[in-house]
Amino acid sequence: MLDAADYIGWLELLCEDIKYVMPVRVTTARGAGFDSLPDMGHFDEDLYSLRKRVQRLYTEHAWAEDPPSRTRHFVSNVRTFAFSDTELYVESALLLFRSRGDTREGDLISAGRTDLLRLTEGGMRLARRQIKVDESVLRTQNLAVFL
Amino acid sequence: MIDLPEVLADVRRGLVPARIYNDAEIFALERDRLFPSAWMFLAHESEIPAPGDYVVRRVLADSFIVVRDETGTVRVLFNMCLHKGMQVCRAEMGNASHFRCPYHAWTYRNDGRLAGLPFHAEAYGGEDGFAREGQSLLPAPALDTYNGLIFVSLSPDAPALREWLGDFGYYLDFYTRQSPAGVEFRGPQRWRIKANWKIGAENFAGDSYHTPHTHASVVDIGLFREPRASKRKEGALYVAGPGSGTTYKLPPDGSFLEHLRYVGYPDEMIVTMAATYSKEQAELITESGFMVSAATLFPNLSFVHNWPVIDEAGTVAPFISVRQWQPVSECETEVLSWFAVDASASESFKRQSYRAYLMCFGSSGMFEQDDVENWVSITEMAAGTMARRLLLNSRMGLTSEDKPIKSPIAGFSGPGVAYQGFGEFNQRHWLSQWSDHLSDRQGAPVEATSL
Repeated sequence: MLDAADYIGWLELLCEDIKYVMPVRVTTARGAGFDSLPDMGHFDEDLYSLRKRVQRLYTEHAWAEDPPSRTRHFVSNVRTFAFSDTELYVESALLLFRSRGDTREGDLISAGRTDLLRLTEGGMRLARRQIKVDESVLRTQNLAVFL
Repeated sequence: MIDLPEVLADVRRGLVPARIYNDAEIFALERDRLFPSAWMFLAHESEIPAPGDYVVRRVLADSFIVVRDETGTVRVLFNMCLHKGMQVCRAEMGNASHFRCPYHAWTYRNDGRLAGLPFHAEAYGGEDGFAREGQSLLPAPALDTYNGLIFVSLSPDAPALREWLGDFGYYLDFYTRQSPAGVEFRGPQRWRIKANWKIGAENFAGDSYHTPHTHASVVDIGLFREPRASKRKEGALYVAGPGSGTTYKLPPDGSFLEHLRYVGYPDEMIVTMAATYSKEQAELITESGFMVSAATLFPNLSFVHNWPVIDEAGTVAPFISVRQWQPVSECETEVLSWFAVDASASESFKRQSYRAYLMCFGSSGMFEQDDVENWVSITEMAAGTMARRLLLNSRMGLTSEDKPIKSPIAGFSGPGVAYQGFGEFNQRHWLSQWSDHLSDRQGAPVEATSL
């Protein structure tokens, strides 16, 4: 769905109380007890801000994605755990390939995702997504893409 | 080979050779002549609040440990072991009483002093063979702070920081001192862009002209109402000391309280700001009617203050971001982007301001996304042969006889020179400082330290 740029369709799969977060990872000594910043993310979104991001991509002035990137989300290592009768906890590994234009090398973003899926009247919906990116310094020019 | 005098002469008349945005020779000159003699920002004191707290930051290729020692003093230590040159600290942040080199276990206190080395007696014959006493990781040649911002210079002869900041200090206070508690920094987000470092610095220095078009999408979606051309062209551009910046025109006839409410500050913060700002700072808002927006302090530290709508209810929340364009090469830059907020603000304001920041700037910010797309593209275009034939016109605001097309704003409350409306006065000011540094053939004299 994201690779087909169906962002409106993607928004419809989100719960009203969606939390979509991607903490900044940092290089720390083994034993430091933390490897991400507690109070700074690349994303820390709710439905309002995700809607704004999607609305923006549908304007005629979102130059960052016009022409659009070609993306492929590779999802693997999926493990699911029943969290409650109506909620499913899902871990997965994500590799996003992003290609822009005809002269630049493609970007890769590698991350682990922890999702909370909730069974609603409309089907399964995403209630939480925590993205644990594997780089401390991102090698993509912006996050005009969703993970 | 480039003809440097010709390049600099063109730059000084506002006709910028396109190649300077992607040229290995120019970058080598910047590395050797500009960065070693400039005051460079490394960190904010709020990032290392407790003894032993450290962050590791760079000035181009030079890695420094910025650490608060056991007595509370901020130290900036060159992160290279005195013995074999290993990088002593390879984490980017943490807390440590000592730093031990992984190679031969030379160990340094967090004030830099060499505390121990293995087999001092057997290997070196004790103090006679190697005098351990008084040895220290190399400190940055010059270190100074302003409102908690930690700067270093690789030149021991750098002018005093406050003297160098000059008139820009007035504007810097808007971004870093809204209360006696100062600001706290969070982050940075770090990411690499295939763009020349100068483009971001120039853009933040004064490019109000790009806002209505580059950032049209954020107006389209109702995130931020100000960037429309009709609003943007009423703003003031100012040049002051080594910095320059842009402002937005506030609605007419407002009091200090009303103006700051308009940009989203809660009343308790406005009361504190009123007590903290100088008379001249308050007058910029009330008398001149301007609110600071983007700014750049030469060479590569930029600031931004905006006030987007952060929820469906239409709540306006202001935010401050401080960012550094850290050069990697002539065609690549690491961006370090911090969120800064008044340390004494309420938790709910900090939360709102943080959300405002994330939506607008930083790695995922809806303003910044489009900026970077432009800057990467400029850098790519500047690499070719045709770019060597092109002088980019950066003369906006000047007649053919080099006269400003309008007069400076009379009675502007801030120091320096200010113009209302569009113009490239600020970018030319930035480029003129850049030219001064590049034409300095001497460079900073370098004295070697031996143990």
